Amino acid sequence: MERIPFRKEELEIKAPPFVKGRLGVPILNTPITPRENFLAFLGGEEPLWMPFFTDTLSITPAVVPDNISRGFVFDASDFDPNRSAGGPDMFGVEWEWVPSVGGSMVRPGSPKVPDITEWESYITFPDIDSWNWAGSAEINRKLIDQKEFLLGTTILNGLFERLISFCDMDEALIAMIDEDEQEAVHRLFSRLADLYPRLIRKFKDYFGIEIVTFHDDWGSQRAPLLSLDTVEEMIVPYLKRIVDSTHEMGIYFELHSCGKNEMLVPAMIDAGVDLWNGQPMNDKEMLAKKYGDRIIIGADPPAMAPDTPKEEIERNCREFIETFNPYRSYGGRVRGLPGARELLYEYSRAAKCGRA
Amino acid sequence: MSKIEEIASAVERGKAKLVPGLVEEALAEGNDPVEILNKGMIDAMSAVGEKFQKNEIFVPEMLVAARAMKKGVEALKPHLGSAEDISIGKAVVGTVAGDLHDIGKNLVCLMLESAGFEVQDLGVDVPKERFAEAAADPAVKIVGVSALLTTTMPAMRDTVALLNEMPNRADFKVMVGGAPITAEFAAEIGADAYTTDAASCASVAKSFVVG
Repeated sequence: MERIPFRKEELEIKAPPFVKGRLGVPILNTPITPRENFLAFLGGEEPLWMPFFTDTLSITPAVVPDNISRGFVFDASDFDPNRSAGGPDMFGVEWEWVPSVGGSMVRPGSPKVPDITEWESYITFPDIDSWNWAGSAEINRKLIDQKEFLLGTTILNGLFERLISFCDMDEALIAMIDEDEQEAVHRLFSRLADLYPRLIRKFKDYFGIEIVTFHDDWGSQRAPLLSLDTVEEMIVPYLKRIVDSTHEMGIYFELHSCGKNEMLVPAMIDAGVDLWNGQPMNDKEMLAKKYGDRIIIGADPPAMAPDTPKEEIERNCREFIETFNPYRSYGGRVRGLPGARELLYEYSRAAKCGRA
Repeated sequence: MSKIEEIASAVERGKAKLVPGLVEEALAEGNDPVEILNKGMIDAMSAVGEKFQKNEIFVPEMLVAARAMKKGVEALKPHLGSAEDISIGKAVVGTVAGDLHDIGKNLVCLMLESAGFEVQDLGVDVPKERFAEAAADPAVKIVGVSALLTTTMPAMRDTVALLNEMPNRADFKVMVGGAPITAEFAAEIGADAYTTDAASCASVAKSFVVG
């Protein structure tokens, strides 16, 4: 790819956002599109700038019941979580929307699956062919047809999260290591490893996605919830099946896994995950240095309050790019700071290609 | 390896099926039931807590160890003289109003039980009045208040404020914890202690009660 030096004109707004709200960011006058830059990066080339979360467009449409139950519908519709979120997911598990949190939870205490060894008696797998995929694609046609941003979706409730939603957290954790229950977990994960690629295939066929973000939280604030051995034994074989199928469709695979999960990165690599952007409590620089040749580590610019002085914002953004520019990293969300996206773009462009 | 050491090893490894049989064997050998409880189980769970703090084991291993201990205590109960032999005091624990997270609170309950407390689990989404009602029991020595969200920290503040107004406040300690909570916040709202994890919570709670 030609190393085009950065010019100030690139920061001019070429077009307004495609949509309002979270999905929408103004389109800058970049020398290539954010999508082209991201795809080159994912393909192993040196990008013209560090790709950012805002260079993607992730559609999580209402056609997937999980997106409604968890209040995670981000598409061209007028979904209002405070009016419509919560209710049954695609397995009939009831979720409760918590407005103050902006997310949903299953109220613990009366799990849908009281005995994981007999989950087949309580769980019916969804008939995803019967969902109105064509109708959903039509609603989102403008987003699907755009070629400015990398198009993706998020699959909520990955393997471990799904298990938790079925039988509550404590029982899910025990089932992951109790030899009397592990066989049932293997059976469940194997069925899920058949389902998720079919779901991703629908997104490929109807939406043309290029990246999928698979949501499976494995950690707590202080440490992983599960040991590396447990993850390798219980999750990796099935996650790898899902990742391999996704790759066969020509789609990149990002893992979303909250918690301090540094110790579990080898499992992510073994499963073939392309990208992981963990929470800020993980040492991203160490991870990028140690594992950057095998998995792309996402890094978050420092969170800054809206009243942060301009000089401090500039310094933070510059230091962030200086730290992560040497590695094969991508950037996460730019929190609450209008202008930081442009600063990060500029510093990154200059670091990678120089200034005109 | 003595029978009590075998019990301790089985508890640490979470072998719930083995522990009751080992307890019976230890009793048949003439071991003191209180010693079986203290050395075979409570000490074993302390070791589990330490390994958890060092990230040598993780939450599932701690849960199965607690489950194994529970089975052992059930087998031991008929042989223990009185409730005082197995309880060092009563603790009530809950997650504050508006917060549905339960794993941290559940771990605290398990570790407090494993340290010898009688535990009343108030559940999740617990109104402050429910905490106060439970804390009015003169047997209560520890009130554990959990919050996992920044948005439910005000509910923790309100709960602790209400507890601090109770006439029997000097009889119990208020302990707080959860992902967004800090020692500074705990001090600011008038709690007696903040701990970072369930194992250290049990250890601090025990120090409040037995010195």
